[in-house]
Amino acid sequence: MKIATPFGRSLALLAPVATVFAGFAQPAQAEWTGGDGQPTAPLACDGSPAEVAAVAYNGGAVANEGAKAGQPLKVVDVPKLIGIGYFDSTSKGVLKAAAELPDVTAITDGPTQANIDEQITLIDNYNPSGIDGILFSANDPVAIAPVLRKALAAGINVVGYDSDAEPDARQWFVNPSEFNGVAKSLIDELAADIGKDGSFAIVTSTFTTPNQARWIAEMEAYQQACYPEMTWLETVEAQEDNILSFNQATTLINKYGEELDGIVGMTSVATPAAAEAVTQAGLCGETAVIGLATPNAMKPYVASDCVRAAVLWDTTAMGYAAMQALHAAANGTLKAGDTSFAAGALGTLQILNGSQILLGAPTVFTKENITNYDF
Amino acid sequence: MLKRHGHEAVLAVLVVGALFILSLQSDRFLTLDNLLNQSRLMAEVALVALPMTFVIISGGIDLSVGSTMGLCAILVGVLWQSAGLPLPAAIALSLLAGLACGLFNGLLIIRFGMPPLIATLGTLALYRGLAEGISQARSVRGYPEWFARLGQGDSWGLPSQVWLVLLMLAICGIVLGLTRWGRTIYAIGSSETAARFAGLPVDATKYAIYAATGLASAMAAIVFVSRVSTTRSDMGTGLELDAITAVVLGGTSIFGGRGTILGTALGLILVQTLENGLSLAGVKGDGTVVLIGLVLIVTLLVGALMDRRLRA
Amino acid sequence: MTSQILPARANPPAAAPLRRFFSEYGHECVVALAILVLLVGVGLYNPRFISARNLGSIFSGNAYVAIAAIGMTILIVMRQIDLSVGALIGVLATISGSIAVSGAPIWLAWLAPVLCGMAINAVSGLLVAYAGIPAIVVTLGMMAVLQGGLISVTGGAWISNLPADFLLAKMAVFGLPMPLVWAIVLTIAAGLWLRLTPYGRSFYLIGGNAEAARAVGLPVRRRIVMAFVIHGAFAGLATLMFATQLQVIQSTTPPNLELLVITASVIGGVSILGGTGTVFGSSLAAVLFAAIGSALIFVNVSAYWQRAFIGALILLTVGADMLRRRRAASAGGK
Repeated sequence: MKIATPFGRSLALLAPVATVFAGFAQPAQAEWTGGDGQPTAPLACDGSPAEVAAVAYNGGAVANEGAKAGQPLKVVDVPKLIGIGYFDSTSKGVLKAAAELPDVTAITDGPTQANIDEQITLIDNYNPSGIDGILFSANDPVAIAPVLRKALAAGINVVGYDSDAEPDARQWFVNPSEFNGVAKSLIDELAADIGKDGSFAIVTSTFTTPNQARWIAEMEAYQQACYPEMTWLETVEAQEDNILSFNQATTLINKYGEELDGIVGMTSVATPAAAEAVTQAGLCGETAVIGLATPNAMKPYVASDCVRAAVLWDTTAMGYAAMQALHAAANGTLKAGDTSFAAGALGTLQILNGSQILLGAPTVFTKENITNYDF
Repeated sequence: MLKRHGHEAVLAVLVVGALFILSLQSDRFLTLDNLLNQSRLMAEVALVALPMTFVIISGGIDLSVGSTMGLCAILVGVLWQSAGLPLPAAIALSLLAGLACGLFNGLLIIRFGMPPLIATLGTLALYRGLAEGISQARSVRGYPEWFARLGQGDSWGLPSQVWLVLLMLAICGIVLGLTRWGRTIYAIGSSETAARFAGLPVDATKYAIYAATGLASAMAAIVFVSRVSTTRSDMGTGLELDAITAVVLGGTSIFGGRGTILGTALGLILVQTLENGLSLAGVKGDGTVVLIGLVLIVTLLVGALMDRRLRA
Repeated sequence: MTSQILPARANPPAAAPLRRFFSEYGHECVVALAILVLLVGVGLYNPRFISARNLGSIFSGNAYVAIAAIGMTILIVMRQIDLSVGALIGVLATISGSIAVSGAPIWLAWLAPVLCGMAINAVSGLLVAYAGIPAIVVTLGMMAVLQGGLISVTGGAWISNLPADFLLAKMAVFGLPMPLVWAIVLTIAAGLWLRLTPYGRSFYLIGGNAEAARAVGLPVRRRIVMAFVIHGAFAGLATLMFATQLQVIQSTTPPNLELLVITASVIGGVSILGGTGTVFGSSLAAVLFAAIGSALIFVNVSAYWQRAFIGALILLTVGADMLRRRRAASAGGK
């Protein structure tokens, strides 16, 4: 027995291995794509603009409206999380606008993980601290709403960007790009790389991230309508972690081999990691990478011709517009019923869906223009 | 007095000192509104940290509380929305599930003799995984108005959930300080073998404290769901570390046998005071995290040095 | 039992060498067997799983976890633990990357994380050994300090434009990926050192029974500090393989990395009760994790259930270990 005993514990290791095999027994069920299951509104394949119905102002109302006109403003910017390039650049935009505007001071403070509780607590702690405005990017649209409503009731101006809250919990929302517009850009760029009948897989952040789930749902709808021959292979989860994203992308490449024509990265972390995976696998030119990414992270791969294009809005401009909107709302120059908004150096932006300031169509970064951007 | 409650005395001085200094930094800190709001924010951690004190005094630890909270939150949402149960029934079942999670921890630790750290490290992954699997990553929203009163409303002048915390505080304090059951927990933490030889109901007591922690995590889940009116599978991430920080800061020895509910309460208040007060004083979140880490280490260092001096 | 240098190893005196090997490294063999079964099984289902390329990814993908788990194994053998290792690796990666882009010599960027890791962990070790604060509490506090400090200092900016000759993990030795080579060399070196030198064996003795170790004159406190310092050095080495893999360094710490490292040590056969376990086991466990992660994608297991599955894996392994100990205790009469 003495010989056998060391194995006792170890044999248990075989049980989970067996469980993996049990996975074979299941027939390939309907592939989960990572979408959120909500209704979709795919754009027309030829890019003809969708009908825009006029919607009355549906944002929230701040207490003592107008009391802050002409006063100095203290603003806190609360992104989903700090420590990733994406929100580092939005924060730069906020600071840039704050520097241009008279008497505005802004700081960025956010949770270190995209965690709803930390974000709510943070805002709740700032509420009574004497600030005049909150800029936010919500980790969860519903969960963040009560603290924002509390801020509005206390006379604090609230403007969102990147990820919205429930409309009545903030005054304005700077929409970087409509979900269906992003989906169209991504799938169109993908089709330009892999053809109308290519196969692709997706690397996303987590299943619970609302924006990513929404984009994927819209992408699926648009792909089915406009590129029905494309094959959607798989969606994998990789947090906001670049090593995990790299490993997951590598595994996809190894699993599908030639069959995999393209990888779509749904986060600014996943896309460069997927590009690195393709580079290290020596498959540049054979497996395309498309995705949402900040230009700085993609420059090496675009320069080496491994990646043709990446898609993103100008995140610095988004932060800039949000700060401008907050200042305008506090000074009464942006008010319910407006259909356009003069956002400083960005010019005039359109207002849609009642209370969303549209930043514009997403930018496609290619070799020609990527060096013009630094964020 | 100083010998028995030295650590609590140090903490009380720290709390008062922090309140004083922070109130000088911002006149918005020591206001009734702010303090009431802070008590609302600390409710979930407090609900879990109080029974966690039992677990740590008994020489154990429970790392799975945050995941249990996530699983119970998901169960409320799924049972109510997908399974179509009335919300009170879904809440009751979720509380039962929390109890079951705690009992399962107890089973692993008591029946299989696993070290608590490892057993609950395993269930930390397991319960969170179940939450993700059951929810299929969908969040549940649209809870009825009356449910929000627990997490967002007031009752008898205080935020509703604070009454729950006070009730928990009273029960835990009485049980630990005044009952035979409480003395059994200390005995187990000092020496489990000796407690067994003395004929104390060691196993039953340990099952009870892990079950209580599981139940408290489920209560925290319901309070939290009500406070934010949504349900997601990532709820409660990191709760275990917040709860353990409060308990250990409160003077409970991680080796077991020593600790009080009063200490945990002071630990909770100190952490919350620092978080809120520093943010009002203009310190950013990351600076606050660093400071809380330092306070944890320094408080224990001072406690250890005082212990040594008193013994010498 | 207590007089033995390697307490919990059954040590039949006149066994054949092969039998003796199995009885000593039985657990490691079975972890290896589990990897093999997984490779063959999933390989039969989809031959691409065992293509040279995917094997390369599996064996080198988690190399930094394996390297960090070497130090963690030594700590756990000593009945200590480090919850701050994930945050530490994040901080060290930023230090290393900042030096690399500052134009300083590259060797400095490689050396700095190792030295800083040792220095930071020396602080934890001193607090544990000489102030008597439990390791779990010290490292919990340290985790907060490192995590918050990292964000305070960097403000959340990524480090990009890393010089190409900094990217150590992308290099190869004799056609083998650098992370794999490092993991193998470090595991064997540390394993032999722990097994064959008196200094290395003293860690097991102290972990098995600190009182007895003190009685035979071992400087227990100094060894505890050393265990933390060595762990810090391995965290630094792990950082080199972690931070030089991609062209950007994030300034957030990798989520849950500390749990992954601790779990690798435990699954690899390190008993949390101290005194036993080898670094061969923990490194194999890191490979097993990578193999499982890859296999789950290859066989289309719903990603939703992955974490539940890993939790069940931990519990099954530790549960079986507990039953084995109980059986061994009742069969051997202690």
